Amino acid sequence: MKKLLSFTLALAALLTLTACAPKPEETELHIFAAASMTEVLDEFIEAYSAVDPHVTIIPTSDSSGTLLTQIQEGADCDLFISASPKQMDVLDEAGSLLEGTRVDLLENKVTLAVPQGNPKGIESFDQLARLLESGDVLLAVGNSDVPVGQYTQKIFAYYGLDEASLAGALTYGSNVKEVTTQVSEGTVDCGIIYATDAFSAGLTVVDSATEEMCGQVIYPAAVLAGSKHPEEARAFLDLLRGNSTRDDAVRKMFEAVGFSPIR
Amino acid sequence: MDWYPLFNSLRIAAISTAAVFFLGIAAAQWIARLPRGVKGVLDVILTLPLVLPPTVVGWLLLMLLGPKRPLGAWVQEAFGVRLVMTWQSAIFATVVVAFPLMYRTARGAFESFDQNLADAGRTLGRSNAWVFWRVQMPCCKQGVLAGTVLAFARALGEYGATSMLAGYTPGRTATISTTVYQLWRTGDDPGALRWVLVNLAISAVFLLAISLLEHRRERR
Repeated sequence: MKKLLSFTLALAALLTLTACAPKPEETELHIFAAASMTEVLDEFIEAYSAVDPHVTIIPTSDSSGTLLTQIQEGADCDLFISASPKQMDVLDEAGSLLEGTRVDLLENKVTLAVPQGNPKGIESFDQLARLLESGDVLLAVGNSDVPVGQYTQKIFAYYGLDEASLAGALTYGSNVKEVTTQVSEGTVDCGIIYATDAFSAGLTVVDSATEEMCGQVIYPAAVLAGSKHPEEARAFLDLLRGNSTRDDAVRKMFEAVGFSPIR
Repeated sequence: MDWYPLFNSLRIAAISTAAVFFLGIAAAQWIARLPRGVKGVLDVILTLPLVLPPTVVGWLLLMLLGPKRPLGAWVQEAFGVRLVMTWQSAIFATVVVAFPLMYRTARGAFESFDQNLADAGRTLGRSNAWVFWRVQMPCCKQGVLAGTVLAFARALGEYGATSMLAGYTPGRTATISTTVYQLWRTGDDPGALRWVLVNLAISAVFLLAISLLEHRRERR
């Protein structure tokens, strides 16, 4: 599979390079991606570096809210992939995105994950809602600046729960990986994270949120208007969209961890 | 405004300072008498938390006290008590980071203590404990007080290790430092500022009280 991907990447790179003037000097591409994409992005970067060694990709992974703040504060960023349209909209409205590059890249699912052994016997969101009201559970969630925390708030609203009154039952993390670690270490009874994080950490998922509960979990991607290497950024984005490949290698890499690429 | 973080931070700092006070002077007294080689090694080990980033301290403590880790799992089995994600968990973190401050300052004070005074007390028939508390400690007052102040300040200002061990549960484990971080991260700058001012005020009041105390003692 990796051989096939490398071949198609080579083809894609060749086609892209012939389209524009050859750039022999080193290019640094800064990619800011949502924390939940850490593992799969590393795989793509590895594959891309093997094909085009002139481009050094520098990934930055954190909560999309944190990344947004960094971009707004002037951090060098060429490509931004956010875990929710919210952060991308902010940049869009401020005119910070390169025209015509914004696309909806992936879809994910918000899930309820438990530590190994499921000590508290958590089985579903419905049951969790009841436990939260009685204060019998410690649930780890992202804070309101983190996309997964924002989706969690929608789930709370769906169940008619008042977050302020749940004090004592919730512990807030500053990005989804922090929440995931708390679940895998067993320091909390359960956590609300993405399906992809649960998969990458080997955690058991006991329930998934439906579209009715938290809406669609869409990951938009866009090249920044202030990017110094828009062509390379576009090329990498095209790779992530699987546009330059005829086969399903790219789609399979995303689906392997639980993402659903959007055509 | 929810005042829990203030109450929690002060509570944690007070308890850790009390613990560190006794642990620090005990360690200082005992280690000061050891041979040079052993003393040097122990010095390094006990001073380490002072130079380690709080996240490193937090990680090490989590590896020890987490529910799936040796000590944490045993305590869970034996007493049904979880050592992390509670307000008490922060005390582990603050004691570890504040200890070196008390230990080093007390050690410095004890080493410059004139042993003749202690010997004089013993020749008059006083016990070692009496000599320690009624002769040595009063003579080393400045150093011990300085160490206590530093320990309290460090305990009050702990963030990294506390965040990793206790998480952030409003109303249960929130401290001033973790609250400021969360408020900033969620875009509530006015809220964060309020807590920053509260912390500045407490620290200023505390240091002022200490310097007044020292000033009064000097005049006597």
